[in-house]
Amino acid sequence: MKIKHVVLAIALGAFFASCENDDNGGESLPLGAYENGILVVNEGPFQNGSGTISFLSDDLETNEAAIYNKVNNKDLGNVIQSIGFADNTAYVIANVSNTIEVINRNTFESEGTIDADLSNPRYFVAVNGKGYVTNWGDTSDETDDFIAVINLSTNTVESTIPVALGPEAIVAKGNTIYVAHQGAFGTNSIVSVIDVTSEDITKTLEVGKRPNSLVLDANDNIWVLASGGSSWPVPEDESAGVLSEINTSTNEVVTTINFNGVEHPSFLNIDGENLYYNLGKDVYTLKTTDDTLPTSSYVTHTATSLYGMDVYNGKLYLADALDYASNGSLTIYDLNTQAVDKTFTVGLNPNGVYFNE
Amino acid sequence: MKRIVVFFLFIIGINLSFSQQDSILKLDEVVVSDSRLLQFSNGIKITTITDSTLQRVPGGLTNALRYNSSVYFKENGYGMVSSPSFRGTGASQTAVIWNGINVNSQLNGQTDFNTILPQSYDKISIRSGGGSTQYGTGAVGGSIHLENSLNFTQPWTNVLNLGYGSFGTKNFNYKSKYGTDKTAFSVGIGHISSENDYKYLGTDKRNENGAFNNNTIDLGFGLLFSTTNLLKLQHSTFIGDRDFSGTLTAPSNSNYKNYNSKSLLEWVNYKSNKVQRTKLAYLYERYKYFANKDSDSFTTSNAKTMLFNYDLKYSINNMLLNGLVDYNNVRGEGSSIASVTRNLVATTFLFSHTASKKLSYGVNLRKDWVTDYNSPFVYALDGKYQLTKNYAITLNTSKNFRIPTFNDLYWETGGNKDLKPETSHQVEFGQIFNKKGLKAELYSYYTTNKDLIQWRPSSVSGVWSPINVKSVYQYGVESSLAVHKKIKENPIVATITYAYTKAIDKESGNQLMYVPLHKATGSLVYHYGKYKIGLQTLYNGLVFTTTDESQEVDAYFIGNVTLEYDVLNFLNTDVILALSVNNILNTNYQNVAFRPMPNRNFKLQLNFKF
Repeated sequence: MKIKHVVLAIALGAFFASCENDDNGGESLPLGAYENGILVVNEGPFQNGSGTISFLSDDLETNEAAIYNKVNNKDLGNVIQSIGFADNTAYVIANVSNTIEVINRNTFESEGTIDADLSNPRYFVAVNGKGYVTNWGDTSDETDDFIAVINLSTNTVESTIPVALGPEAIVAKGNTIYVAHQGAFGTNSIVSVIDVTSEDITKTLEVGKRPNSLVLDANDNIWVLASGGSSWPVPEDESAGVLSEINTSTNEVVTTINFNGVEHPSFLNIDGENLYYNLGKDVYTLKTTDDTLPTSSYVTHTATSLYGMDVYNGKLYLADALDYASNGSLTIYDLNTQAVDKTFTVGLNPNGVYFNE
Repeated sequence: MKRIVVFFLFIIGINLSFSQQDSILKLDEVVVSDSRLLQFSNGIKITTITDSTLQRVPGGLTNALRYNSSVYFKENGYGMVSSPSFRGTGASQTAVIWNGINVNSQLNGQTDFNTILPQSYDKISIRSGGGSTQYGTGAVGGSIHLENSLNFTQPWTNVLNLGYGSFGTKNFNYKSKYGTDKTAFSVGIGHISSENDYKYLGTDKRNENGAFNNNTIDLGFGLLFSTTNLLKLQHSTFIGDRDFSGTLTAPSNSNYKNYNSKSLLEWVNYKSNKVQRTKLAYLYERYKYFANKDSDSFTTSNAKTMLFNYDLKYSINNMLLNGLVDYNNVRGEGSSIASVTRNLVATTFLFSHTASKKLSYGVNLRKDWVTDYNSPFVYALDGKYQLTKNYAITLNTSKNFRIPTFNDLYWETGGNKDLKPETSHQVEFGQIFNKKGLKAELYSYYTTNKDLIQWRPSSVSGVWSPINVKSVYQYGVESSLAVHKKIKENPIVATITYAYTKAIDKESGNQLMYVPLHKATGSLVYHYGKYKIGLQTLYNGLVFTTTDESQEVDAYFIGNVTLEYDVLNFLNTDVILALSVNNILNTNYQNVAFRPMPNRNFKLQLNFKF
């Protein structure tokens, strides 16, 4: 679902670099109440409410609900899709509100709202002081999809890059961004390669149908997971998912691994050299060096409605939306022992986690 | 199946054995299409809202019932989709009956109460509790009965109502009736439109994209073509065009257009002790939903219902026996529904007996056969006993059902043809105290509902699909007190209702979402010479917006005041001017979370009768 690990890796890199520059070898000052811990995105209800962000301290001892509302005394927005980061700033995307809330990631104080020129915003990545946000546009129009280019000093959309149908997950490598086109409410099967300097689409790569997530590995290869063709509207078009590997030097698809039957995998994650994804409630893993899929699952979760999945530093985070009308839960597994560390009650429709440290 | 055959023989047997019996059925009962409501509801709570009240209701049927009954409404912002909740059940467990016919949408099983203008009807009755035996699917929590009456031997009468109010609200209603010895005509035209751009109190936002424009035409015709035969035609068309408003966090640019038409042809053959009715009806419903109203793209569905009903009723001494056979043919299609046809045959037997001046009771039985699934055999027993001159008790028990809708069964992708109907069992005990100028009622009920249909995503494919998943039980009380008095020849009418509703999910033990534990209404009307002052108040208790009771919409209290002045009353002409102040306390309230309701607003109305 998310490419946040990659975003995070880049963002954290910048963050640590800036810390080193700032503290001049002395004691570093606390950056804010939410400096160390886990941010859980709760989408919230559709229309009639607001999404929230829960905070779990890094020792997993405290669980604080709706921190943005608490700090700023206002609502975050409707259907929180994802968070992107640039340095100490979090960009929280409210899909139905068509807004991005700009927040200090450590204090959670609001620094502004981007509320113009977005249309069905999905995911954010920062490159060289600019933010790139995938937008579906009007879902009944298959030709108005775009990447919004955000000036992070003014928090305004300064230009747009028209793209093919349904841009979803986005990842950056140097001055190039890779956009997976899941196809919004339709179907697409490409990854767009965009040069941020010229804002041109330099290449379009064919992957599996409905690519939903992509990650960058340590060898600068991008892995793209496509869930496969949907049985709607044409049942005969249903097909199994595909895992593809893109070499970012040549921008060619170098590996294609097909799933079986009509398996629809999602939530591709990477931790070191291990890739993780789910099929239903089961989590599978393979190495970036493998060219076949695992035959048995690694972790079997008891989730009612698995709605988000992240892997970070040897831990697996599974978000469960339960009946979609009550507070959801987040379960943390230790990937070494494959056992549950702890389960938390979070907000309505939790869809992912991000890390402050 | 065997049981049903026996049941039919039973009806025929009665025909043979009692057809020579004698008693008198009145013409009044014949001109009303929904006579069952009067005759087979001995121990049932029925509340009636009469024409004079309906003429003055601002807005849709939601407002007619919200202030005058214990029914709770979940309204998606003022004038938007509005669904009733009766005794803790949902919108699809409330049947809407138009002149005796169940007219809930075949597509979603509900009626949007803001697509009905109360002025179209001569009487609206609220029948609390299950009524599936008489009214079929969805009559679980209760039913709302919309009635048009035909008046023979009546001079030409006209009612014209013109209104203008805050937020660019305009309404126009005209109703005309004429009757001779042999014929009766009626025509009604209704219009209400509004910019509906009220301010969200406590914010700098307004209710953007909330404009609506609703129009209705109603026609009625009756012909007494012999001394024992009556032909009736009723028609109603509704054309609605609404922008669907956003919320505090979600803007909207959507639009919804719907068209509903209902036509009913009825032939009544009546004798002193026997009434035969043959009904033929055609219902058409269609909607178009534009997620972005600036785009040409929309989703749509429509359903066409042909309905045939034969109804034979005998009166023998103090007994009424009624057998009915229904045939429905429904064709539905749309953006997400391939063309499908559903056939339904229903057989019903009703019995009512006034055993003495004190005791009356009834027995109702029904069985349906429907394409694609089994519908349960249902029953109802009810009775009323007058204990003293002023005090009566009622008791009823029933089994009721709701069949899956077209969307539930045939939606692509996700529709589930393996669904079972929802079933409900209930018991109710009522007490009625009636003394000159004072009426007090107290009803307690207990209801269980199982196999409730809910849409859930599949854990494997993620596709949302309906399943029979929930079991709930409800219990509570509904009470009312009405006082009619005169202060120095000036009549005063005060009414109070209060409902306590527990609606519990059996699995979690939590109160269901959007069911207030407490709801109360109060109204007062005082006449003073040419003036009349009216006060309407509503207390709506807190509702939960999640299934785990973790989020809620606060309770609210609102009040409306109306001042009327009789400008002219000469011969048969009457002109009344009325000024209303709605939400007079300027309460900042929400009915559905994040959808603020209107601030204080004004309305001026001119009412002509001639």
